[in-house]
Amino acid sequence: VKSALPALLLGLFVAAPAQAAAPADPQDGLAWLKQMASASRRLNYTGTFVYRNNRQSETSRIAHFVNAAGGEFERLETLDGPLREVIRTNDQVTCYLPGSRTIIIEQRSPRRFPALLPEQLTGVADSYAVHVQGRDRVAGFECQIVVLEPRDKLRYGHQFCAEVKSGLPLRARSLDEKKAPLESFAFTQLAIGGKFSRDLVRSRYAAKTRNWKVDRSALPVAETPADTGWMLVGNLPGFKKLTELKRSIAGRAVSVAHIVFSDGLAAVSVFIEPLPSARVVPQLSHQGAVNIYTRPVADHMVTVLGEAPAATVMQIANSLEFRGATASAAR
Amino acid sequence: MDKISALMDGELDARQAEQQVGRLRHDTEARACWDTFHLIGDALRGECRFSAQFGARLYARLEQEPTVLAPRRRTPAGRATAYALSAAASVAAVALVGWVALQNAPVPPAQIAAAPAPVPVSVPVTPPPVEPVSVPSEGTMNQYIFAHQGFSPSTAIQGLAPYIRSVSAEQTTKVRE
Repeated sequence: VKSALPALLLGLFVAAPAQAAAPADPQDGLAWLKQMASASRRLNYTGTFVYRNNRQSETSRIAHFVNAAGGEFERLETLDGPLREVIRTNDQVTCYLPGSRTIIIEQRSPRRFPALLPEQLTGVADSYAVHVQGRDRVAGFECQIVVLEPRDKLRYGHQFCAEVKSGLPLRARSLDEKKAPLESFAFTQLAIGGKFSRDLVRSRYAAKTRNWKVDRSALPVAETPADTGWMLVGNLPGFKKLTELKRSIAGRAVSVAHIVFSDGLAAVSVFIEPLPSARVVPQLSHQGAVNIYTRPVADHMVTVLGEAPAATVMQIANSLEFRGATASAAR
Repeated sequence: MDKISALMDGELDARQAEQQVGRLRHDTEARACWDTFHLIGDALRGECRFSAQFGARLYARLEQEPTVLAPRRRTPAGRATAYALSAAASVAAVALVGWVALQNAPVPPAQIAAAPAPVPVSVPVTPPPVEPVSVPSEGTMNQYIFAHQGFSPSTAIQGLAPYIRSVSAEQTTKVRE
């Protein structure tokens, strides 16, 4: 009802992104959000960050480089606990787990690595009150605090701190409804800039993986847009369907239906697969700010997960209905 | 009437007590006496918490509750009464008072009426939890989180960093707070 004006303003904003906005203007917050997404793809940087949730704290090293042709390379390596490495080469993400001698490959093609699109930003403004809120210092850099307050209980709050010159996000926090932190990512050491270095983003394990188990999480051939026949009944304000496809999941023999809903910032994935032979009882679990709910629906197992409150994830899981025969025909 | 008084004072032998208790069951007048004597006793001891009609109203309410009135909950009291009657009269009186007290205290009549007869009323009813308890995923969901991550706008904003979630948790059991 009252979304007409912000939408109009946003239209203007998208048309003229460089326009400087007055403090506390919500467009200012959205501009920062856009700037963060752009900086984290465009910039060369190396650093150490700490991931923290209410059960654990983990330190990782990260390096991101863009070559002359615009190719993106990124490497993440955990410094605590078991060795784990995640390598991104443009749209392919590969995960090396030396402990279990496993490689998990996820190729995102023809779809790009997620970008923050203007239409997503509209969704963000509808679902969150976005505002800039003072400055802070993270890893020695001055940064701008950007707060996203959820307009309802279907989503978590977020707080970012973006480096003032480049816009690179130095800290990201998810907050529950009492504004208590659920999860945070924060650089403790960071160097922005520097020349492209293939060595810093090359896997340390790729050469030694001859006998490792390879799990292809999603092959380009398997990841095809499809009408899975599953629908969400009822209303879930702010969440729109981003994509719907049939894919493979690492460790699963059969193809799995995957539907993604997003409010522009948080995403919730729905995975639907045939009921396994083991009995499936409804179960709620979590990993940091990601809530996961599994339940049997008819002769299928439904797994819903995302960085949204448990109630939202469960609501989605409980509102799924099989409507179409297309999925069974395609199976 | 003096018999009722004697029963209250514990001056009757077992047989007499049994007789009087039987009388109390059927004879409304005797019951009114029992009530009044108790009320007087309570008043004398400064423990008068009920109005004079309390007993009458209570019995009237109980009268309206047919057999449901005898749910399991009362079995211990009943047993106690039976035992007491076969023993000393004083004990019988105490048990009876206890029985009456039981009528007064614990369960609102509406609840008794609502309870299905075979269900023990004394079982505490815990309201169902609003949400099931969430357990840490302990790495069991890593593949799904990995598949999900590629679609999340948080990845667009933060790059690879959120992928730590999908390789995390394998060792969290050891890092409990």
